[in-house]
Amino acid sequence: MLLVVAIFAIPLGAQTKLKVWFAVSGDSGEAFKALLEKYMAANPSVVLDYSYSGNYADTATKISAALISNTAPDVALMAAGPLYTGARGDYFIESKINDPDFKKDDIYPGVWDYAKYNGRICAIPYGISTPVLYYNKAIIEKAGINLKNPPKTWNEFLQVAKTAQAKGNITGTSDFWGFDVTDVPWLFKTMLNQNENTVISVKGTDVSPAFNDEKGVEVATFWKRLIDEKVMPIGQHANAEKKFLAGNLAFLVATSARISRWSKDASLQIGAIPMPYFKKPSVALGGNVLIILSKDQKAKEEAWNLVKFLANTENQTTFALSTGYLPIRKSGLSLPEAKKAVESNQMYAIAFDQLDISWSYWHFDQMGTMDQLLGQAIDALERSAMTPKAALEKAAKELQAEING
Amino acid sequence: MRKHRHVRYPWTMLFLFCTSALMIFPFVWMLLSAFKTPADVYNYPPKWIPSSFQFTNFAEVFKKIPFIRFYINSIFVSVVQTVLQIAISAMGAFAFAKLDFPLKNKLYAFMQSSLFVPEIVTIIPMFLLAAVAGLIDTYTGLIVAELNCAFTTLLLISFFQSIPNELIDAAKVDGCGYFRVFLEIILPNSKTAIGAASLFAFLTHWRSYMWPLIITNNVKMRTLPIGLKYLVTETGTEYQVLMAASVMAIVPVLIVYILMEKEFVQSITLTGMKT
Repeated sequence: MLLVVAIFAIPLGAQTKLKVWFAVSGDSGEAFKALLEKYMAANPSVVLDYSYSGNYADTATKISAALISNTAPDVALMAAGPLYTGARGDYFIESKINDPDFKKDDIYPGVWDYAKYNGRICAIPYGISTPVLYYNKAIIEKAGINLKNPPKTWNEFLQVAKTAQAKGNITGTSDFWGFDVTDVPWLFKTMLNQNENTVISVKGTDVSPAFNDEKGVEVATFWKRLIDEKVMPIGQHANAEKKFLAGNLAFLVATSARISRWSKDASLQIGAIPMPYFKKPSVALGGNVLIILSKDQKAKEEAWNLVKFLANTENQTTFALSTGYLPIRKSGLSLPEAKKAVESNQMYAIAFDQLDISWSYWHFDQMGTMDQLLGQAIDALERSAMTPKAALEKAAKELQAEING
Repeated sequence: MRKHRHVRYPWTMLFLFCTSALMIFPFVWMLLSAFKTPADVYNYPPKWIPSSFQFTNFAEVFKKIPFIRFYINSIFVSVVQTVLQIAISAMGAFAFAKLDFPLKNKLYAFMQSSLFVPEIVTIIPMFLLAAVAGLIDTYTGLIVAELNCAFTTLLLISFFQSIPNELIDAAKVDGCGYFRVFLEIILPNSKTAIGAASLFAFLTHWRSYMWPLIITNNVKMRTLPIGLKYLVTETGTEYQVLMAASVMAIVPVLIVYILMEKEFVQSITLTGMKT
């Protein structure tokens, strides 16, 4: 009742209106909307005009159009957010994160790199995900594999995947495989970092490709081995998830954002093991970030209050657990609901543990092109159209040309 | 004689049967998937017939998105756009086909060349204009910017050229001005072409996604293609629900096609147009 009285007590002119766009739909969209509603209920002087802005690519186009026509939202939840703040010289968020209420140091250090442009923070990591190595429990059981001591390195994993493929065919199909991945560039970048390759080289503010060095070629050569030893099908990555869910694939690397949905489906018997590695454990981060695009200072401050609210331990962890994204704060893991999720669901435990080894490179303008070129390079080497070295060299050359403009 | 045609051309019939099957396959798959359980959707080898018919998939669509609102918006926007586009295209086509005016050939070439420009290239400047004109989140903004008349104008020009000039001259002798010639001679003799052009225009507007997404922020203003995208999520897609929504989404298109099938086929024959 007090809330109702409070709402009517606020003169209409005193209300602040913030426009919010978000690039997540389904359960994630609903969870995000619930948080926005919660903010409005707690802050009657603020009205949030929120809307779904399409998927990541669509939102990028929508934001680009809105920026040049001065109709951009105050807050956006999107992928590659730093390209729309840092790249425009807007580092407002960097000036706010030392706010004691925000508890900057509570956020995983690796996660911060996902919110940087030119080495400076210009976004707040939010719907963060990592690649997770899932397995089909029925296949592993049939193959007689014990994953209590999971393979640590990719070479060890290759042998396990081969055994699963040879002995674990539960559907009797000829189209049965040991391993596949849904997002090729994401896993490849993870593997590169595990092999002590930095993917890109940064000197000052200059970025250049680094994935084509000797360590990169080693990773690409291992990738080709997965094909040559017939553990992974050639160029079937777009169907990998369907194959996995149909019981025709033993191991799948896919986003941690699948955990929530797959856990709710009782017909799916899926587990996860820590990501194997080459020289050091590491997983590349993905997902979305919060950015502030308000024009005037007052709106920026109001937008920051909203961002702070969305990214606090309780709210961000709630969002993470209801969507399958990961908690960005260390304190999130000590919340009862997070503890319960880890205890009751081994996949959450694996994904949360990986946050300690999560890694990202700074955002740069051509990073989308880089992923595209890496995907093409992997496709070429899978089809034996190019050697691993030649494929990476070509991708690096084309990326450098793109960077040079 | 006619009923034995399939016996006389068995290979042609076989080829047509195979290509028809290829075209129909995705629609049959969509229809059957709309009734499947999640387990059926991912089953391998693929399960054609659902293990149990899940009519709840259709109900789920209405729970997850404001489907009726999207539907009404799509019908309203597509119909108004089609009517406006055909009206403008028909008048333009009449001018190009039957009148002489300065820069006619250059304007014709300019119109043709506009077909080669991808939508994504023009979308940001168009949005800028729409924002300046205050058309964001309005039906006017949704409708006007997508009146892409070039293709339908070119289609109608080729048909209008086939109408004998003598017919127009006779009308002029009887005292008709250009507008009456257009209304009473050109239009009544072009029902087939106008029907086909309307079908093309309606289909284009019905499935338009990018512009409606860019120009609208308010969920109440959005159209079906954006609504379907709400069902595709980053954390996984419920294909059976998406298919149920898609089945409902194609109903108006089928109705329009059934109503205009005759005109469409005749127009292809008369204008030599291929899609």
